[in-house]
Parts: sequence; structure tokens; C-alpha cells
Amino acid sequence: MSKRFPGSRTPAVQELSLELPSGSLAALVGPSGCGKTTTLKMINRLIEPTSGCIEVQGRNVVEMPLHELRRGIGYVIQQTGLFPHKTIAANIATVPSLLGWGKERVRERTQELVDLVGLDPELLRRYPAELSGGQQQRVGVARALAADPPILLMDEPYSAVDPIVRGRLQDELIALQARVHKTIVLVTHDIDEAIKLADHIAILNVGGVLEQFGPPADLLRAPANEFVANFLGRERALKRMALLRVRDVELVSGPVVEVSASVEESFKVMADHGVDWLGLRDGDRLLGWAWAADLDGVRSLGDIATEPFRAWVRPDTPLREALDLIVDSSTRVAAVFDDEDRYLGMLTIQQIADGMAQ
Amino acid sequence: MSFLGANGPDSLIWWDWVDRHREEIKQATFEHLRLTLIAVAVGFLISGALALVALRYRWTYAPITWITGVLYTIPSLALFVLLVPWTGFTTLTGEIGLVSYTLLILIRNIVAGVDSVPAPVKEAADAMGYRPVRRFFAVDLRLATPTIIAGLRIATVTTIGLVTVTGLIGLGGYGGLINDGIDRTFSTPIVVGAGLSVVMAVTLDVGLAGVERVLTPWARRKVAR
Repeated sequence: MSKRFPGSRTPAVQELSLELPSGSLAALVGPSGCGKTTTLKMINRLIEPTSGCIEVQGRNVVEMPLHELRRGIGYVIQQTGLFPHKTIAANIATVPSLLGWGKERVRERTQELVDLVGLDPELLRRYPAELSGGQQQRVGVARALAADPPILLMDEPYSAVDPIVRGRLQDELIALQARVHKTIVLVTHDIDEAIKLADHIAILNVGGVLEQFGPPADLLRAPANEFVANFLGRERALKRMALLRVRDVELVSGPVVEVSASVEESFKVMADHGVDWLGLRDGDRLLGWAWAADLDGVRSLGDIATEPFRAWVRPDTPLREALDLIVDSSTRVAAVFDDEDRYLGMLTIQQIADGMAQ
Repeated sequence: MSFLGANGPDSLIWWDWVDRHREEIKQATFEHLRLTLIAVAVGFLISGALALVALRYRWTYAPITWITGVLYTIPSLALFVLLVPWTGFTTLTGEIGLVSYTLLILIRNIVAGVDSVPAPVKEAADAMGYRPVRRFFAVDLRLATPTIIAGLRIATVTTIGLVTVTGLIGLGGYGGLINDGIDRTFSTPIVVGAGLSVVMAVTLDVGLAGVERVLTPWARRKVAR
């Protein structure tokens, strides 16, 4: 579809064609003037497309009655757009009220939403001006989700709050999306926000030209062109490392022996790995590690006082966090444990580099 | 206290005159209030309609404010005198003048109030699926309430002042008392008329401020924080 504003020579969005997968979060990113907000607003027809067609769940939005279309699409904006004259409860209940829900149903739904977005129920009787920016933003999300729309549009939702609150709200959105599985379209100028939140990113250039569309890790590994590369910024490998997880790379067994093994065997394992330290395990429990020097004159490995692995991670730990632990550790490795603390293997810088290259 | 307290020829107010003219003062108060309330009510209705037109058809706003602005600049006495040949010494003559003076203030405040509703709030309302008419009454107009009431307060206080002028064309009210005093070079009715019109202005102004507080609980809480 396209959009040309009256009096403007060049179209704001030119023949953009995009298919967003349902149940996942897609981010529209680009510099100002790239038409990302225009594109978003054409979905709920706050802006009417000049030409082309927008289908939501197989229905052309232009053919749907405006209010019906909009009541089925949640909308969250930067300055929250909360109604200053309505209490928080009334704000959240906006769409249900428009849809004519009964009082009891609205009350129950409001309660659910308050839990979902992590809002103090005490706040329900207050007015928006009495809330902090972060609280207002949570109310905005609750209001958008009130009638359980399958689609949620978010226009720069976090750009008006301070970085600490922003980080927290972003984490909350990730947790929320894991529960509700909405089709979310997020507009942001912050590429790092898009990388953190989105399942797919569309990078738009001025005039609504689509430069690249795909999962963030794919974009970071192989930017389609100079523009995308520049927009993704420096340290692309590090950014991708934040997206990949320990489970995405192969682990090594490491210089680890059973505590029942002999001292001679231990020296051989260390020599094979070219290290001067040894990990001890008892079945799938990792006991700890010791320097090679500690083994001198020891008869049984069980006699050694081991140190615990301070650098340890879970399979879902981001690689970037694991790398940070590894470079800070004495042994230059991170031990990997599953959720039941069973030992899975060792992660080294080499493992991370190999995994990134795939 | 001597100049308010005694009944000598030098005192500004003769309390025994006030005592003897209670009925007359009560009548004047009633007439003054009636003329004021009719003017503000009718003015508010006309302004509401014109403001709706101005908000719906933006190009009409300039001519509407221009015309009501011209009306506002005509000296009140001159306007009453001009109208007398057509409508006589009637309430209608007085009200035409009084109403026309409220229009500029009220229209401007209604339009400014609706215009001051933050764009994100309007956009959010649209995006939630409000239909235009419902949004106007449930969102725009509600949020414009403080500005609209501010206009009503100015219009009311101004009208109370102007009603004293209608006394000159024999419509009663406090203007009648003041005229009487001027004619006889007798200060007491002047002081009573002027003083009570001030009391009325302050009372209605405070009353409207109270109405605003009741209608805009969100604004009150914000201040309380």
C-alpha cells in the first residue's frame, strides 16, 4: 500500500508490502520520515491509505466499519493518551464500555488486566495525572488489551519514560507477550529496543522504502545493505550475542573428571585440554574446581578442597551475559547447569565464536 | 464608622432609608438577578451553537469572532439607545444588548477549551473506537469544562455590571436604585445598588467556581497532590 499526504510531492509510504506473522511481535524501525508511524496508523485507519490494501486476519480494513475495526485493535501511544478526566478504572474499561459490556463483566476484566500488567489495584480510583510515567504506560497497555483484541499497535510506547523504567517496561512486555501471544506491531526509532523486543524487524528508509525484514538475529548477522548496517549500528556481533542463548551453541565436556578418578588420569585430562586447573564431578553434580598445584601429593581427588564455579549459566542465558562471566572468571570458562542444577557442560569463548559463525 | 454609621447629611449611607426601602431593594435584587441569568443562559445557548459551527467549519470561526467582537465594542448605553426605537423600553431591548456582550467571551472559551484537548487524547479516543459525536461529548467537551466555566464566570460578572446600565432604560435592578440616587443627589441608593451588585457578582462567581470543582474532580485531585 501507499500513502501520499495532500500537498506533499513525495509519498510518505511508497508501495510498502509487508506480511506480519500473527501471534508475534514485529517492529517497524527507521529514521524520522521513514513513514513507520504512518504505516502503523494505516492499520487502524487513523490515516487512510491512498492506495493498496491492508488486510487484518484476512479482512480488508477499508471495508470494515471504522469503529468496529478499531475496537478490535488495541492501541498504545507514547504520551499514553489516557483520558485525564476519567479514573484509571474507567480508562481501562473504555473499549468494553463502548462495546456495551455489563458492569460485572467489566469489573472482572479490569481485575484481570490489573494483574496482567502489574498495577496496584489501589490506583484504579485515581486519575492519570496522579500516576508516574511508568504506571501510566502500564494503564495504557491494560486499556489497549481490555477487550482482548487479537492485535496490538504500539507507537513509540516507551520513548517518554526514563531509561530505567523503559527497561523494566520492555521486560514486562516480553513477559506479557509470552502469556497473551498477541500480534503486536511496534513502532520505534530505537533499534536496540526493536532488537530486544521484536520477533521480526522491518527496517524502513525515508519514503517508506522497506530495506530489510527478518528476525533481529538474521539482520545482525547479514545486513542487506549499507543503510541497514549503519542503522543497526556498531557491535553487531555483541548485539546478536545478546539474542542468542547458551542452548544455541555446542558445549564441551571441559577438563572435568569424576571425583572417583585417579590423580594420574587427572593430570592427563589437564594436559589434553592444555589448562592448569581441573573440574570435579560426581555424576551430574559439578563439585567445583582446583588448580593443578593443589593436586601435588594428594592421594585421592576426594581429599582436595575445591572452589565453586563462580561463572555459571543456564541454557537460556544470553550468550552476551555468558561471555561477560567467562572473561571475568579465573578458569575462562562458564559451567552450564539446567534448571535442576544438573551439569550440562562447559562454555568457552571458542564455543561462543563457533556458535555465532553458524 | 461615622460616615457609615450616622444618619446625618454627610454620611454616605442612611440606614433608616435602607430599612424603609427593604421591599424595593429586594425587588431590585430579583430583577437584577433575572436579567443576568436570562442573558447568560441565552448567551450560552447561542454561543454553544455558534461554537459548534466554528468547530465543525473552521473557516467560520474568524467571521464569528469578528462579528461578536464588533458587538462587544459597541458602548452598552449606545446600543440600548439604538435599540429603543425598534423594541421600546422592554426587557427584550436590554437582553439583546446583554446577550450580545456574552457571545464573544463564551464562544472563544468554548472553542479554546475544545482546542486545548491534547492531540494524543483525541487520537487515543478515535483509536479506541469512539464515534465522532460520542467522542465530542464524552471526551472533548468534558475536558473543555474548566475553560468553558471560566468563560461563564467572566460573562456572568460582566453581565451583572452591565445590568446596572439597563437601569437607565427603566428595566429596574440595581441600576434603578443608582439612577434614583443620581437624580436626587442622594448617595444612599447609589451605595446600596453598587454595593449589592458587587456582592451578587462575587456570590455568582464563587458559586460557578464551586460548580467547576464538582464537574472536574480530576483537576481538583491534581492540585491536591
